[in-house]
Amino acid sequence: MRTPDYLQAELLDLAVADATLFNFLHGTVLDGLWYWDLQAPENGWVNSKLWLTLGHDAQHLPPEPNAWQAALLPADFATMQQVVAAKAADAACHTFSQVLRFHRLDGSEVWMDCRALLLRNEAGTATRLVGALLNITREVEKEAYAVEIANHYSTILSNQSVYIIKTDAAGNYTYVNDLFYERFGYDAQIIGTSSLNSIIEEDRPKCLDVVAQCFVEPEVPHQVILRKPYNNGPVKSNHWEFKGLVDEQGQVTEILCVGYDVTLLTENLQKSQHLLEVTKQQNLRLQNFAYIISHNIRSHSANLTSLAKLLDGNGNADQKAIFLQMLNTSTAKLAETIANLNDIVTINTQGAIAKEPRLLKEEIIKTLDALNVQIRQHQIRVEVDVPADLLVPVVPAYLDSILLNLLSNAVKYRATERPAFIRLYTYQEPGFIVLAVQDNGLGIDLNRNRNKVFGMYKTFHNNDDARGMGLFISKNQVEAMQGRIEIESQTDVGSTFKVFFSTNVDVDLYS
Amino acid sequence: MLTYIVEDDPVAAYLAELMIRKEQFCSEVQSYVNGQRAFDSLKEANETGGALPDVILLDLNMPLMDGWDFLDAFDSLAIAKDVCVFVVTSSIRPDDIEKTTHYKHVRGFFSKPIDEKALKRMQHLLEVPNN
Repeated sequence: MRTPDYLQAELLDLAVADATLFNFLHGTVLDGLWYWDLQAPENGWVNSKLWLTLGHDAQHLPPEPNAWQAALLPADFATMQQVVAAKAADAACHTFSQVLRFHRLDGSEVWMDCRALLLRNEAGTATRLVGALLNITREVEKEAYAVEIANHYSTILSNQSVYIIKTDAAGNYTYVNDLFYERFGYDAQIIGTSSLNSIIEEDRPKCLDVVAQCFVEPEVPHQVILRKPYNNGPVKSNHWEFKGLVDEQGQVTEILCVGYDVTLLTENLQKSQHLLEVTKQQNLRLQNFAYIISHNIRSHSANLTSLAKLLDGNGNADQKAIFLQMLNTSTAKLAETIANLNDIVTINTQGAIAKEPRLLKEEIIKTLDALNVQIRQHQIRVEVDVPADLLVPVVPAYLDSILLNLLSNAVKYRATERPAFIRLYTYQEPGFIVLAVQDNGLGIDLNRNRNKVFGMYKTFHNNDDARGMGLFISKNQVEAMQGRIEIESQTDVGSTFKVFFSTNVDVDLYS
Repeated sequence: MLTYIVEDDPVAAYLAELMIRKEQFCSEVQSYVNGQRAFDSLKEANETGGALPDVILLDLNMPLMDGWDFLDAFDSLAIAKDVCVFVVTSSIRPDDIEKTTHYKHVRGFFSKPIDEKALKRMQHLLEVPNN
């Protein structure tokens, strides 16, 4: 058996004998051949294959001797000169490679990998360079495209407004994008830990429910809003889309979670809901008020209609005189009703009225002074346990009216069979200063009357000058100052009215 | 036939009584200025075997004991006689009209003032057997 060595010897002989092999190599295998005189660098020769690679027609190759240099990009020619100078200085260096760009005839660039061979003379000086050129334009473009794609996706993944998370089937983090780290103050240490930990406790069952759905129905997004503390600061609401990802066996192995911040949205929603609630309350009050107005005015108008009819009919003069007197009474009552209604409308429609700080004790003493005669006359003991420096933000006219109403009621409905007393004291509740007005008077049976105490035209004792307006007006005034009024009472034991003054100075209901 | 007028407004009570007499709706009328007075009288009559009313014209908004309190208290008195209550009010609150239907003694809801037409309707309702 002959060894292949004869082939090597044969090929070497062929290379020396004639140009067939050399022509095949540079004319067919390579994309260009360059032979350069390093001692006269303006002189160079390129083969016709290079021109074909650069888009020239075989019949019309450039005739100018320096056309090769014009085809090379000037910057790359300069670089090549520097590289060659460096390599030539290194006596041990014979070959190297360098990427060069050429102008194609159509104006585009052709990237060539130049494998260079330095030919040296006896003194070791590099005198010639043989450059074997390979067209690598396609590879360069492919690589550039791949880089572009990678950049594109990495931009999407590190997007400034979307969180992207992956967990394993047990809910431990396997991937987290930069935004998530950044916003929630985590680092790569959370990978492998439970994703539940970052969610506020009360939202965890909700999260687990959605994860369970991902197992039941994989590859479909399931949505949920979860709250997480933001960098240990305020809690943020995020809208998430969870998706169970399945492996080849159809098992859910990962959960992909994509989320974005909806805090502002949820806060606005809550604000709207609050506003809706306020509006609903106002609407209810308005409707109630409309019924009260219609009832009160209608009852007088009914009387007037009947009386007018009777006066118009047959009847004796005595009877008519009675009707006329009744007509007078009815019109006077109608005028009074309208005046009462006007008081209420004024309180309810003034909207935001300026509150001012007032010394509560001072105002109480002023009101007691005004009632001084009756208090002395009925020997009522009065105690005022209110700090002298306690300030309450109030509409001053309303405070005057509320104090006068509660204290004059306490005097009017005082105990008659035991020594009467009135005690005023204050205490604090979150958002409120509470003033209690306690008496040991007649009291009101709250089992029967709880819903009516603060109603319009409600009276609870046989008292002819009671109009049933006082507590109704007080309630409206307290509510107009964002407070409330409550009562504790027992018949023949006494009543305690508690006025809750809102410490909120701002009177705007919508804030 | 005896009618109670339970009404706190003296003008309205007077006018209702006048209309009842004029239309000869019944032979006797008793007026009460609030639910408490009417209830006390009813209770006493029931206990002592006195005259019980056939018809009660009941206002809703009254001091001390209002119309609703009266109806609740009335239910608690086991009165053998079939007493017919007509609610007479200026209220046009839909809740009020609806609420009266829950009281078995109430057979009608009337707007003030009581006129001939209203009394005719009451007469008609009295003739219809109460289910």
